[in-house]
Amino acid sequence: MRFRHFLRIAGVILALAGAARAESVIEGHVVLPKTRTTPVVNKRYEIVTKGGVVAPSPPVAVVYLEGPFPKPTTTPVAQMVQKDLLFTPALLPVQTGTKVEFPNMDDTYHNIFSYSPAKRFDLGRYRPDEKPVPSQVFDVPGMVTLRCDIHEHMRGLILVLETPYFVTTDTDGRFRLTGLPPGRFKLKAWLSSKTTLELPVEVKVDATLQVNFP
Amino acid sequence: MKAFRIIGLGLLGFVLPQLAAQEFMDRLDEALTITLGNDNIRARLSGLLDLEQYYFTPEAPGLIYSGGHSLFNPRLTLFLDAQIGPHIYLFAQSRLDRGFDPSDANLEVRPDEYALRVSPWDDGRFSGQAGRFASVVGNWNTRHWSWENPFVTAPLPYENPTAIYDSEAPESIRDFTQGVIESKYEYIPAIWGPSYATGASVSGRLGKFDYAAEVKNSSLSSRPETWDATADGIDHPTVSTRMGFRPNAMWNLGVSASEGVYLRPEARATLPVGRGIGDYHQYVLGQDLGFAWHHWQLWAEVYEIRFEVPRVGSADTMAYYLEAKYKFTPQLFGAVRWNQELFGSVPDGAGGRTAWGSDVWRTDFAVVYRFTAHAQIKLQYSLQEEYGQESKLGHLMAGQFSVRF
Repeated sequence: MRFRHFLRIAGVILALAGAARAESVIEGHVVLPKTRTTPVVNKRYEIVTKGGVVAPSPPVAVVYLEGPFPKPTTTPVAQMVQKDLLFTPALLPVQTGTKVEFPNMDDTYHNIFSYSPAKRFDLGRYRPDEKPVPSQVFDVPGMVTLRCDIHEHMRGLILVLETPYFVTTDTDGRFRLTGLPPGRFKLKAWLSSKTTLELPVEVKVDATLQVNFP
Repeated sequence: MKAFRIIGLGLLGFVLPQLAAQEFMDRLDEALTITLGNDNIRARLSGLLDLEQYYFTPEAPGLIYSGGHSLFNPRLTLFLDAQIGPHIYLFAQSRLDRGFDPSDANLEVRPDEYALRVSPWDDGRFSGQAGRFASVVGNWNTRHWSWENPFVTAPLPYENPTAIYDSEAPESIRDFTQGVIESKYEYIPAIWGPSYATGASVSGRLGKFDYAAEVKNSSLSSRPETWDATADGIDHPTVSTRMGFRPNAMWNLGVSASEGVYLRPEARATLPVGRGIGDYHQYVLGQDLGFAWHHWQLWAEVYEIRFEVPRVGSADTMAYYLEAKYKFTPQLFGAVRWNQELFGSVPDGAGGRTAWGSDVWRTDFAVVYRFTAHAQIKLQYSLQEEYGQESKLGHLMAGQFSVRF
């Protein structure tokens, strides 16, 4: 009877804790850089020229909470797709230890590679229907620049972060980080390899914090 | 010569540290791209700097023109790619080098390619192109740049001089079958490099098949000086075509054919009475294969070529190569290529037949290391044997440092 009572109390505490986490929020706005230069596809020696031009995603930022957070107990999985000769999303934030899959949704080969110190790899040429989907585990924090050995104009970025609390802004720069733990942290906004803004924040239980990056 | 080497080493010394900053090159790339008219006009200037050093014995092989045993060959290539709306594409290429093929001549600047392409449909079923551009024949032309070609040199069919002399007709069969005895540059190979001749082409894809056809001002074997429309005129157009089949992304198979006039106008005075240069054609049949799977890439091309030679008749040759490339690590890859050219026989004037060239085989080995996505170094060793009337071995060592921006 006493044990059942204990379980009930523990359940309520856990539920309250979960609710508190779910309601601890940071939201705000990041001033984004100017629109990226639109790439020009080199089609000099292509026998088959498909009409249309590539339309890369507009710039966005990654906002994340920095702190001593535990590593994931299971391997998170994310995807970076190649579609219409572009990486989608063009910027992918992941937590260290995440496995990123690179499905090819075009009707041609891709050959994704990276020479970035945080992760050097070359997936080789792989077909649209390649099984298993080519993947890599990103276990070192840092910025990984992705390219395609076949399509020179393709660029993608994977931002490997030591935190599970991150979000990509929308194209207007708005963001909303939810499910945060209470405490004092640094809130960072990654805009480019040269620019990361940061602000100290205190996350309180069941509170929404407004933060704007100039 | 020394000055070139010093400049080359200086550039290498200056450039290498810069390469560490890959981001610098990416920013340069962005800086060299412009967009206008609400993104409807996009243009990009890019380039390729190649510093090549060759050592050869007993003499310069293929289309390398040097009297010594070594040659330093710098090359700066600038490309312009422009997209105007979704259906119009423009490209141009200009080079600063010591000749279209490596030579010990002085530096010169040339516009090598320029073309306008219109693709009315989005599905790639049809494109029309006009200008001066690489031939549609075969599959090497699409990957002949130093960044894509794992070797420093071209495959043998594209650079082995034959006994065909394009500015003068042979006086006799005996004169013709002496082979390459004068300055090598007087002779032409079966196919001269990517053949940036002037003309128009159509191309497209229909399901798993693709097609391309072109009409140009000079034949596949014609030398670079004839590629410009103003050089020898357009009185004798060359027609070439390629039909391709891609059962899937892994395979790319093709057959090509070409027919054109290979003699230059100055040969007219040396032709038999009543004949013109339009009476002597070069016919080419080609088969090509491309295969790629993970870190492997394979290519092969086979060409059967016939030259109609004044006072001789038909002179046939067959040239082919097989090439394999494998990536050992993300930055290191190796390649091997087997090349061969076999010559047919022509009447010897005494009732028999005689070969009109020395058969030749060549094996190329290369290793390439990419420092960054913008810089690589390449080393090649080639062993070649001519084994016609007398055997002749040749060795080539080549190094190439390339920066792509």
